[in-house]
Amino acid sequence: MVISIDALTKRFGRKVAVDHLSFQVQPGAVTGFLGPNGSGKSTTMRCMLGLDRADGGRTLFDGRPYASLSRPIHEIGALLDAGYVHPGRSGRNHLRWLAASSGLPRKRVDEVLDVVGLTPAASKRVRTYSLGMKQRLGLAGVLLGDPHTVILDEPANGLDPEGIRWIRDVLVHLASQGKTVLVSSHLLSEMALMASSLVVIGQGRLLEQCTVDEFVARWGDRWVRVRSPQIGVLREALEAGGAPVAQVDPFTIDVRGVTTPDVGELAARHQLVLHELSTQTGSLEDAFLAATASAQEYHSTPVASSPTAPPAPAAPPAPAAPASGPSGTFAPPTPTPPGAGG
Amino acid sequence: MIHALRSEWIKLRTIRMNWILVLIGVAFPVIVCVLTAALEKDRDFDAQDLIDLVQTCSLVTSLLLGVVGAATITGEFGFGTIRPTFAAMPRRYVVVVAKAIVTVVVAMAVEAAVVLGTYAVAGAISRSRDRRIVLDDAPNGSAAMLGIVLLAAIIALLGYGLGLLLRNTPAAVSVLLLWPLLVEPLVGALLHAVGVEHPFKWLPYNAGIGIANPEADPDTAEHLARLAGGLYFFGVAAAIALLGAVLTDRRDA
Repeated sequence: MVISIDALTKRFGRKVAVDHLSFQVQPGAVTGFLGPNGSGKSTTMRCMLGLDRADGGRTLFDGRPYASLSRPIHEIGALLDAGYVHPGRSGRNHLRWLAASSGLPRKRVDEVLDVVGLTPAASKRVRTYSLGMKQRLGLAGVLLGDPHTVILDEPANGLDPEGIRWIRDVLVHLASQGKTVLVSSHLLSEMALMASSLVVIGQGRLLEQCTVDEFVARWGDRWVRVRSPQIGVLREALEAGGAPVAQVDPFTIDVRGVTTPDVGELAARHQLVLHELSTQTGSLEDAFLAATASAQEYHSTPVASSPTAPPAPAAPPAPAAPASGPSGTFAPPTPTPPGAGG
Repeated sequence: MIHALRSEWIKLRTIRMNWILVLIGVAFPVIVCVLTAALEKDRDFDAQDLIDLVQTCSLVTSLLLGVVGAATITGEFGFGTIRPTFAAMPRRYVVVVAKAIVTVVVAMAVEAAVVLGTYAVAGAISRSRDRRIVLDDAPNGSAAMLGIVLLAAIIALLGYGLGLLLRNTPAAVSVLLLWPLLVEPLVGALLHAVGVEHPFKWLPYNAGIGIANPEADPDTAEHLARLAGGLYFFGVAAAIALLGAVLTDRRDA
C-alpha cells in the first residue's frame, strides 16, 4: 500500500502545525519519520488517520482516504500513543473491544497477546503496566488485524533494550514482507538500524525525503582517517597542502577536505607505511541535527561547565572524537549540502 | 453497526465503576422498598405506596445512569481511547449512535430491574402478611412504572449528550446533576417572579418527570400530560445529543 500525503495542512489557531506537507511512503521498507520536537510529526499522523481534521490537503492509502475504509484495522495498524488506554480495563479487555469493533474473534486477541509477550499480564489492569508494557499492548492492537500498513509514533518509548530490539526486528520483518511501515522515533541510532528511507520535517514542512544513506551523505560530515607509524611526516605533508588535520592518537589523524586516493598517493610519494586509510561518515544523529538546525522550535542551552556535556542539538556535527590534540584543534566544517534548506 | 454495538458493550461492562454505579442504583430503591414495606405497621403497603416510593427512589438510579452515560464518552476523551476507537471505526456517527444505543438500553434494563425488583420485594413482604400488591389497583399504576423506565432512558441519553458536548466528566456530571437540583428550580422561580404563570410546565426536567407520575394526566395549565412531558424531555435530550454528535464529527478527536 502506498501512502500519499498531498499538501496536508493543519492549524491550531494561528499556529500552523503542518504546512502543505507532501510526501509518499512506499511499501517494502521501513520509512523513518523524523523531526524535532513540535515539528508536526504526531499531528501529521493524526491527520493521516482522520483523527485531527486537516485544514487542507489529503492523505490517500492506495488512492483511498482513510475514512472510506470500512474496517481499517485489517488494512492499517496504527499506534499513536501507548497511553490511549483506560487504566481500569485489563489489557485483554482493551484488545477485546478493539477486536470486536472490526468483527475479529476473541482468539485473535490471545494470539497477539502471545506475540507481544503480554499473556501473563493480560488479565491485569492497565494501570499496573509499565510504559514498556503499554507499548507492547499498543503493538498488539496494531497487529490485531494483520494489516499491510503500519503507522507508529515513537513505538520504542519506554521499552527496555530487549524491547527496542524486538520492535526493530518486528518492523524490519514486516517491511521485508512487502508491508508499508511508517515510524517516527527520537532514537536516531535505532532509526539508522531499521529505516531504509526517511521523511524529515521541520516546523510542519518537508525538509528531506530520501534514503538514509543519501541523507547522511548530504547532511552528515565526512572525513578520512589515516593511521601510520610515520604519521608525523604525513601530517606535515597534508598540512602543507592546506588540509585541516586533527590528531586522534599518536599514530592516527583525521583529515578533512581530501579523499582516500589523495592521501594514499601522498603517502606513496613520501614512501610512508599506512596501517589504515578509510573514509569516515557522521552518524544519522549528526545529519539530523544539521538538517533540522534551522527548524528547531525548542533549543536547549549547552551545559558548558560539564565535562560530559552533550552537544547542543543545533550544533554542527563533530564526528571526530578529539577536540584537541598535540597539534591543536580544528573546527569541523559545516556541511554545505546541495539544495540546503529543503 | 453490530460490531460497533458489541465493541461499546464490551467497553461499558469492562469498567468496574460502571458496575458500582449500577449496583448502587439498583440496591438503593430495593433497600428503601424493603425497609418501608417491612416497617409499615399501621397500614398495608399497597400499590400506590410502591409506585410513590419507586418514583422517588428511581430518580437516584436514573441520575446515576446519566452519570454512566456521560462517562461512557467523557472517559474516552479523558483517557484518549477515542482515538483508537475512531481509528478503528472512522465513521464517527456509527460509534456515536452505537454508544447511545448501548447507554439507553442498559439504562432501561437497569431501571426495569429496579421496578421488577421492588415489585417483587414489596409483593413478597405483602404476601407474608396475606396481602397482594396489584399495580393496576393504583390509577395509571402500570403506565407510571413503564414511565419510570423510560425516564431513566431519557436521563441516560441526556448524560451521554452532555458528555459528547462537554467532553469532560466533572463538567458533564455537574451539569447533569445541577440541572434538576438547581438550574430548573432557579429558572422556574425567576420566571415566576417576572410574572410567568406555571413556568415549570415547560422546563424540560420538570416536564419529563411527569412520564413517571401517575397523576400527570391529563394536560393541565400547570403541567404537560405524561406522554407529552416525556416526549418533550426526550426531544431536549436528543437535541443535546445530536448537537454533541455533530460537534464530535467536526472536531479533532
